[in-house]
Amino acid sequence: MGPQHPMTHGLWTLKVKVDGETVVDTIPDLGYIHRGVEKICEARDFTKITTYCDRLCYASANTWAHSYIYSAEDLLEVEVPARAEHIRVIAIEIQRIASHLMWLGAFCPDIGNLTAFVWCLREREMMMDLLQELGGSRLHYNFPRIGGVKRDLPIGFAMRARNKLNLFLNRVQETEQMLDESTVFLVRTQGVGYAKPEEMVNHGVTGPNVRAGGVNYDVRWAHPYSVYDELDWEVSVERPSIKGADSYDRYRVRVDEMRQSARMCLDALDKMPGGAETHYTEGDPMILTKARERAEEGKTGFHHFEDSRGESMFYLAGGGDQRGKHPYRISIRSPMFLTIPYAAKCMIGHKVADIPAIMGSFDPCIGETDR
Amino acid sequence: MKIKAEYAEESARQVVEAAETRWSGTSLHAEVRHHKSGMKRPYVFINCPKNHWRSVAKWLRFEMGADHCSMITGTHWPEGPDEKKWEIVAHLMRMNVINPPERGGWTEQVIRDPAILQNDDVPMEFEISISIPDTRRPSVPSVQEVWMGADWNEKETWDLVGIEFDGHEGMRRVLQPHDTPVGYHPLQREHKIRYHDAEIMYDDMQGFGRKPADDGKVK
Repeated sequence: MGPQHPMTHGLWTLKVKVDGETVVDTIPDLGYIHRGVEKICEARDFTKITTYCDRLCYASANTWAHSYIYSAEDLLEVEVPARAEHIRVIAIEIQRIASHLMWLGAFCPDIGNLTAFVWCLREREMMMDLLQELGGSRLHYNFPRIGGVKRDLPIGFAMRARNKLNLFLNRVQETEQMLDESTVFLVRTQGVGYAKPEEMVNHGVTGPNVRAGGVNYDVRWAHPYSVYDELDWEVSVERPSIKGADSYDRYRVRVDEMRQSARMCLDALDKMPGGAETHYTEGDPMILTKARERAEEGKTGFHHFEDSRGESMFYLAGGGDQRGKHPYRISIRSPMFLTIPYAAKCMIGHKVADIPAIMGSFDPCIGETDR
Repeated sequence: MKIKAEYAEESARQVVEAAETRWSGTSLHAEVRHHKSGMKRPYVFINCPKNHWRSVAKWLRFEMGADHCSMITGTHWPEGPDEKKWEIVAHLMRMNVINPPERGGWTEQVIRDPAILQNDDVPMEFEISISIPDTRRPSVPSVQEVWMGADWNEKETWDLVGIEFDGHEGMRRVLQPHDTPVGYHPLQREHKIRYHDAEIMYDDMQGFGRKPADDGKVK
């Protein structure tokens, strides 16, 4: 199956060995869009790498850019002002909602529900508009900077964000009702692709996929960064059957996570130092501190980050070319790179027709997998 | 909802003390380090000798509870000192994830209050650095059997950096094409990347696609 099969949600091959209709063995084959981002970044300034990180995952560009920025701040020892951290949380969480909506919109047509696709993209459009206000473009925002964010919240952003997030919270109920009452959706997702949490962690699977197994583990919770420990939110956990988390649980946990993200954004707008309605000019120390440009040899930085699809991380070693202006080595941990082999194992024993329902529920993204 | 900083600090110190007792006869070195930005959270840094890596990994996994292998990556340091021409860096995490208990056909959620987590229960980050001396064929023991997640990490590290993992079963190219020449690993430092030079960027830089008949021809 693949590289052009609709199941793949990207460009990769799944070699499936079947006995009649039952899957006996699977081998995932990746690397179709390997661009060598790690090598490219070795010849770029620390400040210029952000744009490449945006392009790691088109559905979740902002979280990947932030993931890099936090690692770079660890390497360059930068302190970020509290207002900038609040703006970052808003940007990350709106992006997380958009990413999960994109996932739901792509997953539902796979298993025979085209209406959800249109509804989800309609709501994603609101999130894209908000992110466009922040970053200036629609898909690759290049929003965070080492030491802060590119610019402050635009005038009137807080009001529009509150309206749209509240509208989203209402509309997500409609989508949920439609899917939970759709027999086709339930039959296709319930009881396929069982995954046990302990097994998933051993395989390196993280994020919503693990939380669907009934365990509240979240990097934002366990290794809090930014202002996540001051905001009002809960880790969304699902209560699966004894066989483990199935595709339906993974859908439930992502819908709940979207709600929590919206709640977090609304709370961050309220708690923002200086107030969300005021506007600061560019170069203000409230939104951007001056950061060092070079890192000496022997220094390293890393930061675990909760991406939309699990735990992402950048490992940076300083002391590269241009007297330390470039990183010597940059290494990217992609959550999906380890999830896809595990998802392929989950299919063994199921029918061939279940493969899209299992693979889609893990939310694969090949841009970050192949790097 | 906050994991208390002093509990995290204490937990990291306990791991370091345990490492010093358990590995006292070896050159293993463990210390508590702190992130340099944000909340300055502690993590455990271990400088592990190459020949002990597999047993150290088992010790971390089964006694220190580092149940999640986040990333294994490698670096090539051609200008480095002789004892560190290559480096393997492993990032592990203590996630403390257990299969939730069963009751009446359903699982109970494992909900924890982060404020009371102590000692072995505190989520902890580990960074393990393994130096490899100057050699033609850099290799470290594989930890594929300790963490299933290390399997694909090691495949990727061999594919891109060219450090071999002794005892790794089923090693193959994962990100690069399957017909990549033997011994070609792009993240080694002898392969230079050049910035914005269209002629070089769009030519066949490594010359894979060239046939003997193409000799002397310029694209």
